[in-house]
Amino acid sequence: MPASEQLKALVEQIPDHDKGGSYVNLTPELGEAMRKLAAEILKGGRDNVLGLIDMLAEPKVGEPIKDIKPHYALHMLAVQVTDGSDDKARAEVALALASQLGGDRPKAIQKYLIQEIQVCGGKEVVESLGKMLLDPELCDDAARALAAIKDGAPEVLLAALPKVQGSGRLSVVKKLAVLKCGKAADAFKQALADADPDLRIAGGWALARIADASAADALLKAADAAKDWLRINLTDAAMSLAEALVAAGKKPEAAAIYAHIAKTRTDPAEKHLKEAAERGLAAAK
Amino acid sequence: MNESKGSVSRRGFLQGAATAAAAFAVVPRHVLGGEGQPVPPSEVFTCGLIACGSQAGEDLRSYMKDWGAQFRLLAAADVHYGRLASKKLVEYVGFTTPTKEGEKPQIQERPAEHVERYTDWRRVIERKDIDIVSIATPPHWHALMCIAAAQAGKDILCEKPMTRFIAEGRAVVTAVKRYRRVFQIGTTGRFGAARSPHSRQIHKIMRSGLLGNNCQGVYIQNGGFPIKRYCGLVNAVPEPTPKDLDWDMYCGPSPVRPYHHDRFGWNHRFYWDYEGGALADFAQHHMDPFQWIYGKDDTSPVEIESSAPPAHPECCTPWAWVELKYADGLTLVLEGKEWGQRYDRKKERRVDISDLDAEGQKKLAELPDPEPLLTFPEAVRQRKESGGHVEAAHRAITIAHLANISIRLGRKIRYDPVKEEAIGDDVANRLVYQPMREPWHL
Repeated sequence: MPASEQLKALVEQIPDHDKGGSYVNLTPELGEAMRKLAAEILKGGRDNVLGLIDMLAEPKVGEPIKDIKPHYALHMLAVQVTDGSDDKARAEVALALASQLGGDRPKAIQKYLIQEIQVCGGKEVVESLGKMLLDPELCDDAARALAAIKDGAPEVLLAALPKVQGSGRLSVVKKLAVLKCGKAADAFKQALADADPDLRIAGGWALARIADASAADALLKAADAAKDWLRINLTDAAMSLAEALVAAGKKPEAAAIYAHIAKTRTDPAEKHLKEAAERGLAAAK
Repeated sequence: MNESKGSVSRRGFLQGAATAAAAFAVVPRHVLGGEGQPVPPSEVFTCGLIACGSQAGEDLRSYMKDWGAQFRLLAAADVHYGRLASKKLVEYVGFTTPTKEGEKPQIQERPAEHVERYTDWRRVIERKDIDIVSIATPPHWHALMCIAAAQAGKDILCEKPMTRFIAEGRAVVTAVKRYRRVFQIGTTGRFGAARSPHSRQIHKIMRSGLLGNNCQGVYIQNGGFPIKRYCGLVNAVPEPTPKDLDWDMYCGPSPVRPYHHDRFGWNHRFYWDYEGGALADFAQHHMDPFQWIYGKDDTSPVEIESSAPPAHPECCTPWAWVELKYADGLTLVLEGKEWGQRYDRKKERRVDISDLDAEGQKKLAELPDPEPLLTFPEAVRQRKESGGHVEAAHRAITIAHLANISIRLGRKIRYDPVKEEAIGDDVANRLVYQPMREPWHL
């Protein structure tokens, strides 16, 4: 929706940056005026959010930035509606931002919208973000926003998992791990056996985060067979899993992991692993 | 695995490592001795640098002097191929003999031409012959590198600020403690504080618990934040990415933005993606002695309030002051002095022996004095905690992160220093823990 003349006039009241290009010139009075401006823009609801979005411009190499004020204004709105005073207004802004995803707008602008959704979005926008998981250019941004929003995010991440490939799959697996999604345990185990080392690392880390005792053998086997960066990461995942199992009251399962690491990490360069496992083993008994 | 452009191949890496090892017949510290065993004086400490900018050189010079001839630089990494290739790396090979009575011996330097150079820092972490990593990248990388170093059994020197957001710090603490590594943050203010009788007395009072939750202290950090200098450019015109820079790897766990030279190099400090303005850049220096003196190495403020204009989404903007209250009643104020109105809610009031009644003073006198702080070299040699240890460093920079969260959201934040999360503010917690770009995770 094109910005109304009234909205354009409000946006224009945002102070210009200083000659150097920063907002060091803001005074306390100007700062207060900006907050009032944001409140005034918010009164226009969804239409004004869409109008601001329409004023955004894609940054291009060598071209001056054309949307400094609406860019700033949109963020002020996104922050202001999270003050807890009006959840309906917050959801309205978040939904307006989400409504502009997936269309023809440049991906750089859509990434900015997702960034601001990450600030103010809630459960009402997770479906929209879930659709962006299928866009390779937006997948990781959407996954990060979902992991930040949390509420309702595991379901849409799980639903997207069979449909995403490559780096998108990595993004989705990792964010399911961030959310400690136990329903994704099988996917995590598959990731641990994937050809992509980054996915194997993600799988190990994820299984540790959900304290999945049934994954211990596969994780240790993968760590034992790995070298260098992969070995460092998978062994740490096994140690993390053991700690998580101790915390969950599963000391025998944890002790088995510690005992294996203490027994197998005999290279002097892995002495710290052996010693850490021995400490863990003593504590798990 | 993300092998960045220009990385040394695995074969090349192995050959390089073998060459370095053969040339110096280095036996790294970790090969000798057992856990908790003091290190013999003849032993060699091997180091890898991550980032080769100006700060890395400064760090090398200041950190490593204590080692003298025991120090060997074996590897260096940087995402800027040009800098990596051209950087003159030196190592310290011994001490000159004093020519006059009373003159201090001087460190000798020589070009470290044998140093293996990598464009992917993970290759440094993988090397089995390295004991210590010195990290001087922009802060958005610090946590991941510290964690990986700990996992690989390295001791860690990490430039300040330690992290970009709070959850990173906790993850570093967990990794360092899990593997009992020695960690030292790149600031040393607390060492001086710990030698001051007055500061030691305050420290003792605060750590004694004799004040209960009735501490009347108000500590004002009066300036020391170059706020105006540290505001980012909102009009930065995207530039072509230099051919000798791996921009994607530079951005790492943070969002990839169009390249602009202000985001790379020293000025990265002005952008939320990499650091957090003057607050993040200087608070670790200022808060390091404060934390020790006031006994706050294991906790954080519970209420945070600030005075600042609406924050920009990507660029750091000015602020006036931040007031942070601890559960025991202590108030900490970060006074900017460069912008807006001065803080006038409370007057400074130092904690003093007179804050205790006669019985409290008697009890205090019976308590032991604080232990001297160990420098990083001492801590590595003795396998003990360094003075600027990981929990203290994490709690010090948490102050800056909490202040910046209040500034960025324009509201008062309540914080649980045990769970390390904002109370009743889901959006504040989105800044406490910020999901990372793939393939990185905490």
